[in-house]
Amino acid sequence: MVMNNLTDVEIIESVKKGNQADYAVLIDRYKNKAFTMLKRMLKNEFDAEEVLMDCFLKAYNNLNSFKFESKFSTWFYRIVYNTALTKLSNSKRIIESEMSSIDDLHYLQSNYNADDFIKADNSLLIKKIVNELPPKNAAVVSMFYLEEMSTEEISDVLQISVANVKVILHRSRNLLRDIIEKRNLLQEIL
Amino acid sequence: MNNINDEILNKYLDEELNREEMNRVRIAIETSPQLKKKYEALLSANTILKNVESDSPSADFTKKVMGKIEIKKASANQQKYFLFTVLSLLGLIVCGITGYVFYEVIASIQTSEPSGLVSNYSNTIGDYLSAFFEKKNLSIFGSVLSFIMLISGYFLYDYQKHSKKNFGH
Repeated sequence: MVMNNLTDVEIIESVKKGNQADYAVLIDRYKNKAFTMLKRMLKNEFDAEEVLMDCFLKAYNNLNSFKFESKFSTWFYRIVYNTALTKLSNSKRIIESEMSSIDDLHYLQSNYNADDFIKADNSLLIKKIVNELPPKNAAVVSMFYLEEMSTEEISDVLQISVANVKVILHRSRNLLRDIIEKRNLLQEIL
Repeated sequence: MNNINDEILNKYLDEELNREEMNRVRIAIETSPQLKKKYEALLSANTILKNVESDSPSADFTKKVMGKIEIKKASANQQKYFLFTVLSLLGLIVCGITGYVFYEVIASIQTSEPSGLVSNYSNTIGDYLSAFFEKKNLSIFGSVLSFIMLISGYFLYDYQKHSKKNFGH
């Protein structure tokens, strides 16, 4: 209970001092959001959990090299993003993902017809659409909306410019907006 | 209205425009129903993305990760003890050889008049070691030593492989 009120830095210092069990607090703090990001990037729940476990172990093993120069979340999400890319590249799914990168986002629209929106629960459907974003877009959207990271922090994680992060973010948002407009979902959502 | 594109609308939403531009876009949205509809759709897309709930890994995820960390820590300790044992054994052998070499050197200095209790003891040990390091015994000893080292090396390799496997899955 008390541990949950501690900051990331305090927990890391405690783990570094030998209180290994305190690391569980960090795991609980980040597991859901990181898992969501990985699930959106890898499009597979099983892979997402496996990669997430790997990420937490990597972070634990390299905790001594974490010098508090950036936030733990930035450092950890860089591990998560890079491990996910490695997994994608190993699975050769990266080729497919590259084909559907930023400029081809609109392919997603054709996957859904008007009936889907009438029959299915909107929130579920939108979740499905978000889950189908290309890996980089999924990562940006997750970090921006779920983790509430700034575009500067995201650019630090992804090692791309802030302008590029904004482009990815705007295009992901525009895609969803277009779907809302096309399907006349505005009244239902508002 | 025409010069207000998607990028500007997104920047307006994120409040990244200066005051003057913000006002210009606000007025344009208020006066153009088409732009208003577009902006409202963008606003709801933003709201939806904000409200999408996060998923959770399996219920015992934290326990699993902590378990793997525990295994890794235990295997690292065991590895330390194993290395310590092997190195101690080798150290003892080296000490034995060094002792023998010293004995030979001292014995060669005191060849003329060996007397007293110490000399008797050193003679006994010397005889024993001389017998032990005879050509035949020396080759057996060398073979045993090589065998021990090979076995130790194999177990060390196997142990490391096993630990890695445990840690990885």
